[in-house]
Amino acid sequence: MTVQTRSRRWPWVVMGLSLAVAFTLSMVSPADSVQGDLVRIMYVHVPAAWLAYTAFFVTFVGSLAYLLTKNLRWDRVAAASAEIGVYFTGLALALGMIWAKPTWGVWWTWDARLTLTFIMFFVYLGYLALRRTTDDPIARASRAAVLGVLGAIQIPIVHFSVVWWRTLHQPPSLIRPDGPAIQDPLMLTALIVGVVAFTIVYAALMVKRIELIHLEERRLAVERSIERPVAGEAVTVPQLGGAL
Amino acid sequence: MLWITIPFGTIALLLVPLAIGTDAVLLREIGPGMYWVIVMLFGVLVSVGRSSMETLPQQDASALLGLDPAAGFVGRTVSSAILLMIFESVVGVVAVGLYDISIIGPLWLLATMLIVAIGLALLGTLTGAIVNSSSAGTALVPLLVAPLSVPLLLGATQTYDGLLGGYGIVSWVLLMVAVVLVVAIIGVVSSRPLQET
Repeated sequence: MTVQTRSRRWPWVVMGLSLAVAFTLSMVSPADSVQGDLVRIMYVHVPAAWLAYTAFFVTFVGSLAYLLTKNLRWDRVAAASAEIGVYFTGLALALGMIWAKPTWGVWWTWDARLTLTFIMFFVYLGYLALRRTTDDPIARASRAAVLGVLGAIQIPIVHFSVVWWRTLHQPPSLIRPDGPAIQDPLMLTALIVGVVAFTIVYAALMVKRIELIHLEERRLAVERSIERPVAGEAVTVPQLGGAL
Repeated sequence: MLWITIPFGTIALLLVPLAIGTDAVLLREIGPGMYWVIVMLFGVLVSVGRSSMETLPQQDASALLGLDPAAGFVGRTVSSAILLMIFESVVGVVAVGLYDISIIGPLWLLATMLIVAIGLALLGTLTGAIVNSSSAGTALVPLLVAPLSVPLLLGATQTYDGLLGGYGIVSWVLLMVAVVLVVAIIGVVSSRPLQET
């Protein structure tokens, strides 16, 4: 019983601690010389965008693994990751818009990465909508897995969009051939810790969501196993009497 | 289906100038882009038509006849691609007439139209198979196809811009071909598992 309680609580504890450290660092890091305090949005926006890519890549891997092994465990991984990915894509888009208004003067600009990220958001909303079209776990897993693999076409296109087109969105800040673009060590640390903390949050949410999907499947299986009265069972054959 | 989508696409081409203004220079500039947007959006309707969807009795008949699901997928894709090519050609003539679009590099444009037709047909047939017999049915297909067709839209519009501006288009054509090949491989490989569900 004790073990069960621990297994339920540890993801929340780890998640809370990592977020607290990331939040503290993002607050104590210096303001940007050009953007001022607005730069602090980046400590959430960049990790959220990183997580969106990671989550959709995991959905791709889970989908591919399901198609190869037919093990429903992989379908749960793909589904959980897609849900978390959609949430963090939405968060990255919303924070990007909040940052863009004072910086670029508009909430939205027809920037290649922004637009393609928004489109990727809809691909995975479609993935989640597809999963809701059937209760049969095998049919759902197979159909969603094909879409999970197909949807991954978007990921490299969104990633390379800032290289292919001259856009407002800056090129990658951390992973660059000539080293990170951020010079201030505290700002760089805050960003890296933010990315690590969000990755831990992702892992914790994955553990909880996979548990929940498993429980939902067990509930459905139990519901199906219960014998229910068949429609029309209460109707009885009319009895003729009297005249005959 | 073509008898509905071709007039529908033509009306859309007529409505745009009414909404944004009838400046001939502006319309000439945005015409190619509008054409490809209409091909993508209305092409989805063509690609999710009867030719690309397999009904349950058809699935049963195919299984009884021992037809390879991959062959069925390819057949449905080809029929859909032919319909899309007809749709693109007719709407293309209308767009050239209404928007005074310049035809530059006709062979490249024809190749682009063909690649887009095959790509949209593949996406429509594959997503049709994914949602087939589900309760949401065909209502979900446009939601799935429209965002997935973005690489084709980008490739097609950038190819025309490249021809117009005189810069390289090979990378855009290769992007479209790569997307078509990936979707074709996924479609052929997944046709049996999808039929079994």
